[in-house]
Amino acid sequence: MIRDITIGQYFPGTSLIHKLDPRVKIVLTVLNIAALFLCRNFFSLLLMFVMSVVWVLLSRIPFKTILKGLKMILMILIFTAFLQIFYNDGGTVLWHPVENWDFKITTEGVFSAIFIAVRIVSLILLSTLLTYTTSPTLLTDAIERLLSPLKVFKVKVHSLAMMMTIALRFIPTLIEEIDIIMSAQKARGADLETGSLIQRAKALVPILVPLFVNSFRRAYELAFAMEARCYGGDEKRTRLRVMKVSARDIVMLAVTLVCLTAVVVTSFANVGGFILFERVI
Amino acid sequence: MKEQLLKFENVTYRYEDESEPALQSVSFGVEKGEFVVILGHNGSGKSTVAKLSNSIYLPTEGKVFVNGMDTSDENNEINCRKTVGVVFQNPDNQIVASIVEEDVAFGPENLCVEQKELRKRVDEALQSVGMYDYRMHETHKLSGGQKQRVAIAGILAMRPQCIVLDEPTAMLDPKGRREVMRAVRKLNEEEGITVLFITHFMEEAVFADRVMVMDDGKVILDGTPSKVFAQTQLLKKVGLDVPEVARLAAALRENGTDLGDVLTEDAFVQAFSRKMEG
Repeated sequence: MIRDITIGQYFPGTSLIHKLDPRVKIVLTVLNIAALFLCRNFFSLLLMFVMSVVWVLLSRIPFKTILKGLKMILMILIFTAFLQIFYNDGGTVLWHPVENWDFKITTEGVFSAIFIAVRIVSLILLSTLLTYTTSPTLLTDAIERLLSPLKVFKVKVHSLAMMMTIALRFIPTLIEEIDIIMSAQKARGADLETGSLIQRAKALVPILVPLFVNSFRRAYELAFAMEARCYGGDEKRTRLRVMKVSARDIVMLAVTLVCLTAVVVTSFANVGGFILFERVI
Repeated sequence: MKEQLLKFENVTYRYEDESEPALQSVSFGVEKGEFVVILGHNGSGKSTVAKLSNSIYLPTEGKVFVNGMDTSDENNEINCRKTVGVVFQNPDNQIVASIVEEDVAFGPENLCVEQKELRKRVDEALQSVGMYDYRMHETHKLSGGQKQRVAIAGILAMRPQCIVLDEPTAMLDPKGRREVMRAVRKLNEEEGITVLFITHFMEEAVFADRVMVMDDGKVILDGTPSKVFAQTQLLKKVGLDVPEVARLAAALRENGTDLGDVLTEDAFVQAFSRKMEG
């Protein structure tokens, strides 16, 4: 169960998306997410949704993996969409059970619920794809470079990036460790699954304490190992992989910019008259 | 005498909040190309030796020299670490990156090795430990023995003259232990890298050129494996078990059948059958 968490996981590959310059990939992801938030009508949303699916197809990550990642947010998705139904009460009334109550379901409510759901799914697809297709080291390297202008303000960009690398590296290790500790505590008779919420929260303490103690020990040992490998914390380190912006990066950037423009134009310019272009949110 | 790559001179080391020193006036040298094993039970001070050997710890008293460089001189720090690489016990806690080849590159990246040379070093290091086919794998999905070999490759890529391994097999299953032992022996025999191997598994000491036994922060025995393992009583007293084969040979010797120096099963079988025929 806990092993299903795929946040920050990387699936090595050689697809177009894998090969994109990580800096460009980050920028593209940010642009796509911005476009998603700017969507106001079904036309622009559909465009962005198709874009996300195209990205997924290009990355050649199996759909099963992607769906597994989506499963995690299923509850949030349903909950948000459900609330959205009642948030918007314009349009034709579909269901109005009690005459005097303000409780009713309308077409616009349903539309905005679908809208939000599709938007969240696209958002998750795009953002998970970034970590799925970029090795953590490259990803943090790219962030380090993108943030390097902040050095002017004495921000320690390199240390930040190194912290991120290590954090991503240790996520699976710690997940494994939680599994082991949970089994160990269960073997000692700990009850983690039954009882009230408070009881179950309390049952987590004997899992978190060893986890934290172990993490400190790990940090200590890792520091020695890094020192033994001459890590000095400076930015002059060379890199195994050189980042280079190539033609495919330019093409992807162009496509993304065109989509963004289309989204902005259809959402904010007054081009109504057709159902797809009508403003939903 | 050959050149001494690593030299401890009356080294005493005391951990900050402990009254008893972990090492008490320890002196020894490791020659270029040697395979030295340090044996000792927990708390004998053997791991402290590893951290002193590349200026992670600095001796409280005495001096440690790497290739003639004093480790306590701050200017020598990087050069000492370039010459003597240390592999630690827990493979999980010394792997920095999520992908095998990126982790191996971590050391040379810190040394500012150029990209082309870096690529070559990473590939060669991975080939020497037999992990080249796994270069794009995720480190957390490897087995213990594989992780430890990646850690060794990470040190190798820095091109050290000497590798110190601090109980690299303690957390591994027998298969992983064999993998790591094989990789380390190959490095010593084929690439001439000096090895200081710290362990509490006696079987791992039989391949060494020299074995040192530590107890209570002191070196109590130092010699060839056969010489050291002949001291059955003393070894027992410090809580170490003589390898089965050596014990059997010692028992046979006491009963008048001397097989000579046999430490491995193969050598024993050979010597024994020769004795029976002759």
